[in-house]
Amino acid sequence: MRYILLALLATASLCAEQSFSMIKPAAVKEQHIGQIIAMIEQQNLALTNIMMQTLSQEQAEAFYGEHKGKPFYPELVAMMSSGPCVLMVVDGDNAVLRLREIVGSTDPKKAAPGTIRAAFGKSVGENAIHASDSVESAKREITFFFGAN
Amino acid sequence: MKLERTLSIIKPDAVSKNYIGGIITMLEKAGLEVIAAKMVHMTQEQAEGFYAVHKERSFFKELVDFMTSGPSLVMVLEGEHAVKANRDVMGATDPKKAEKGTIRATFAESIDANAVHGSDSIENAQKEIQYFFTEHNLCPRVKHHHKHHCCGCGH
Repeated sequence: MRYILLALLATASLCAEQSFSMIKPAAVKEQHIGQIIAMIEQQNLALTNIMMQTLSQEQAEAFYGEHKGKPFYPELVAMMSSGPCVLMVVDGDNAVLRLREIVGSTDPKKAAPGTIRAAFGKSVGENAIHASDSVESAKREITFFFGAN
Repeated sequence: MKLERTLSIIKPDAVSKNYIGGIITMLEKAGLEVIAAKMVHMTQEQAEGFYAVHKERSFFKELVDFMTSGPSLVMVLEGEHAVKANRDVMGATDPKKAEKGTIRATFAESIDANAVHGSDSIENAQKEIQYFFTEHNLCPRVKHHHKHHCCGCGH
């Protein structure tokens, strides 16, 4: 019985998860879409939904609603609505954590070599890509852009 | 400089093998800009309608089965001579005949599962883009004479 329980726990810890990612306008403009997606795919993470969209100011404000009132908020909203983004649903075992690993630290200067932000980020603000910070955020962000399934 | 638009599809074989990034990298390096993209798992009706020109051909059923077998990534590409530039970087329909360095030589397995579709003329590009997108879905990088990002002015 104990072994069955252990086996179940092991399976659960490897369970498939969904994360949300967004290639930001500067990286789209600089023709980095392909290389960024390739780095995600090479982690054995699968893109199960993709959509290119230019966010309206209202969408960007709502998406980053938790940062409302912070000094960088107006700039963030302006940057995110300045051109098209690539919105993506990322599937795989522990997708949230593994996506964050390949994305790298928020500050590209602190991001580990071989990460997306080390390769394509320019600053904390213009850091090439967004990735969900938790399973709950991923669900909310996927629903925000792709609707409930 | 004459900007053109063309339709590109990353087919189910390439999507399932995680080649989306590799293929888009080659398109971007060819100077083509992705100005619209959506992932679509085509229904039989959608695939039949898209390939209606091949309806009487012997390979039609197989083609439709293949195109409905999994999700595809449908994209609009914009650039100088985009129709030809896309076809050049795609390579010959038969991957065995495709030149080295082309998408099909790199990522395609057979003449059927050949990784990508690209419009074969400016006229067909317009039809194929309209089949999947409205002007409102397009996000051209080049700002046209309207200030709005997805102005759809068509120039």
